[in-house]
Amino acid sequence: MKRQKRFEKLEQRPINKDVIVKEWPEEGFVAMKSPNDPEPSVKVENGVITEMDGKKREDFDLIDMYIANYGINIENAEKVMATDSAKIAKMLIDPNVSHEEVLKYTTAMTPAKGQDVICQLDFGEMIMGAKKMRERRKPANQSHVTNYIDNPVELAADAAEAALRGFAEEETTTAVSRDASFNALSVLVGSQTGRPGVLHQCSVDEATELQLGMRGLTSYAETISVYGTDRSFTDGDDTPWSKGFLASCYASRGIKMRFTSGSGSEVLMGYPEGKSMLYLEARCILLSKASGVQGLQNGSLSCISIPTAVPNGLREVLGENLLCMMYDLEAATGSDQSFSHSSMRRTWRFMGQFIGGTDFICSGFGAEPNPDNTFAGSNEDVYDYDDIHFLSRDYGQSFGIHSIKEEDAINVRRKAAKSLQIVFKGLGLPAITDEEVEAATYADVHEDMPKRDKVADMKAAQDMMDRGITAVDVIKALVDGDVKDVAEAILNLQKQKVVGDYLQTSAIFDDKWHVESAVNEGNDYQGPGTGYRLYDDPEEWKKVTDIPQVIDPEHFDM
Amino acid sequence: MSDINDLVANILKQVNNSDTASTGSTNSSSTSVSDGKQYGVKDYPLYEKHRDIIRTPSGKPLNDITLDDIQNNRVDRKDLRITAEALKMQGDVAGDAGRKTLQMNFDRAAELTKIPDDRLLEMYNALRPYRSSKDELLSIANELRTKYDANICAAWFEEAAKYYESRKKLKGDK
Repeated sequence: MKRQKRFEKLEQRPINKDVIVKEWPEEGFVAMKSPNDPEPSVKVENGVITEMDGKKREDFDLIDMYIANYGINIENAEKVMATDSAKIAKMLIDPNVSHEEVLKYTTAMTPAKGQDVICQLDFGEMIMGAKKMRERRKPANQSHVTNYIDNPVELAADAAEAALRGFAEEETTTAVSRDASFNALSVLVGSQTGRPGVLHQCSVDEATELQLGMRGLTSYAETISVYGTDRSFTDGDDTPWSKGFLASCYASRGIKMRFTSGSGSEVLMGYPEGKSMLYLEARCILLSKASGVQGLQNGSLSCISIPTAVPNGLREVLGENLLCMMYDLEAATGSDQSFSHSSMRRTWRFMGQFIGGTDFICSGFGAEPNPDNTFAGSNEDVYDYDDIHFLSRDYGQSFGIHSIKEEDAINVRRKAAKSLQIVFKGLGLPAITDEEVEAATYADVHEDMPKRDKVADMKAAQDMMDRGITAVDVIKALVDGDVKDVAEAILNLQKQKVVGDYLQTSAIFDDKWHVESAVNEGNDYQGPGTGYRLYDDPEEWKKVTDIPQVIDPEHFDM
Repeated sequence: MSDINDLVANILKQVNNSDTASTGSTNSSSTSVSDGKQYGVKDYPLYEKHRDIIRTPSGKPLNDITLDDIQNNRVDRKDLRITAEALKMQGDVAGDAGRKTLQMNFDRAAELTKIPDDRLLEMYNALRPYRSSKDELLSIANELRTKYDANICAAWFEEAAKYYESRKKLKGDK
């Protein structure tokens, strides 16, 4: 065929590198509703759920049993299950119905009922739902802080800059798993230098992650994965009871934690049982609720290429975020893994979470250029900062971050790198040179850093664990090096673990260690004129509008 | 995930060599606040409203912990841990805010504060699929009840043992 010139050019557009597929329900390639999904049902006898979503109790698998025993508000279950799903869906966007009133219904839904309510909503209605059902009044954001070579000095500098930009949480992980303790330490020092009160985690295997938290080298955990089918869950090497116990282990050490799940994971693991992604995710959300965790990170996450390959994929993703909120859980809403070659599609990936506003819009936003993101690249990275600031300014809508001045970034990066230099010296770790401090101050990518002896660092990271180094040793090193403000911040972080205020739902800290959670700063949105509005928050609005790019009309040459 | 056992074993070794392994006797109820009072949403944040009654596991008031104490070894890692009492207070707050499952988690957690890090990690590991026989799970339940007075967690293990048997997640079921 002779090619039509316009079609030829269209074919070359980035969007056409994205892979999309036809629905294939038998293999779970269906976003919101599969012909194999059960119909919603519940039967309660003597306060016990004896039938759920078409299955009798004797046929329950471990996930069904766990959800039926712990996840559903049994008291309201029969009434709610008899309520038309469209009626519950309408309550979500009706300004006459409060957040609290909606929860009375939505916390009593079975997984199939939750799915059915979400299926009533289009994308715009889901945004309205998120506005009301988000737990914390003010949205916030989370960043990824990593680099390709686990360079500790650059990690500290990037963590400090991200903290200054307003991220409430920072997540690091490793290029090489043996670096875990160094990465946790670097982001601890960097984040508290950038802005006291920022929470941070190190995403590694379950047991190491708990261990880092026990030593005070991290302040929360998130990578506690759950799955929607029994086979997937077992392949993930846990049961609902072991995950529930792990949740309590974290709380027993005063460490904030949320679970992680996301549509498409069961497809990737090969056990979707022919069910839709939304139905399986509803099971994950209820599992999390049943475990008594305060929150959940969901929204497909690293599996995002699966739902976005099928029709209604991104509608489903916002739907699962909203369903998480409807079960009274903190929602960290993904927008993390890169998935599209198209800038337009990439932007629309987070528009629902951004305009609706969630507890953590991204989980997380790359605080480094994508080639240095060891989570395999985020949907947003450092080069998007100004685009995001413009969008916030355009829509008067919070992204949880704001513009910073170049000189402030330089100062805080240098201070973080120097603080880490002092900590390394105090703990007897391989020295950080002045040249490295200077390089990290001005660095963009890991190639800007002088080479370190990787073998020595790895040995020292292992040795640091063997010696039992904890946050207390870090504080001592900082006091010895006369960096008292950072030492004080890290001490305050430890003291917060003794009190446990930040174990409550959706908790973050401001720079004065005032906790903001669903308990004391709950979402009071109930229609126009209510709830958090960026343009009505003078301090934050100034940070978004008064940016270096702005031209003052006084300077116009008319 | 296949080398998770090695990993856990390795971590346990490190924990045993470190000063973070609590002895299980540091958490004495006589040194912590437990006045039987019910707390609620109005008491939150405890850090701002009840800092005076929050104690560390060794009974130090939170207000007394300063950089100077750290520098002069008057405070160590074990002092910077949450107590069963603080978790009960947070559980009260969660319950009052309508979050019963979160409160149940804090109730389990309160019981686990007494268990040393290494033993806690072993218990978690024992609950993972195909790790334990029914008797092994029931034996941990017994340990929880008799040694740590952890009745809720003991029931958790007993429940798991029952369902792992019927749903084939015990050692040898694979």
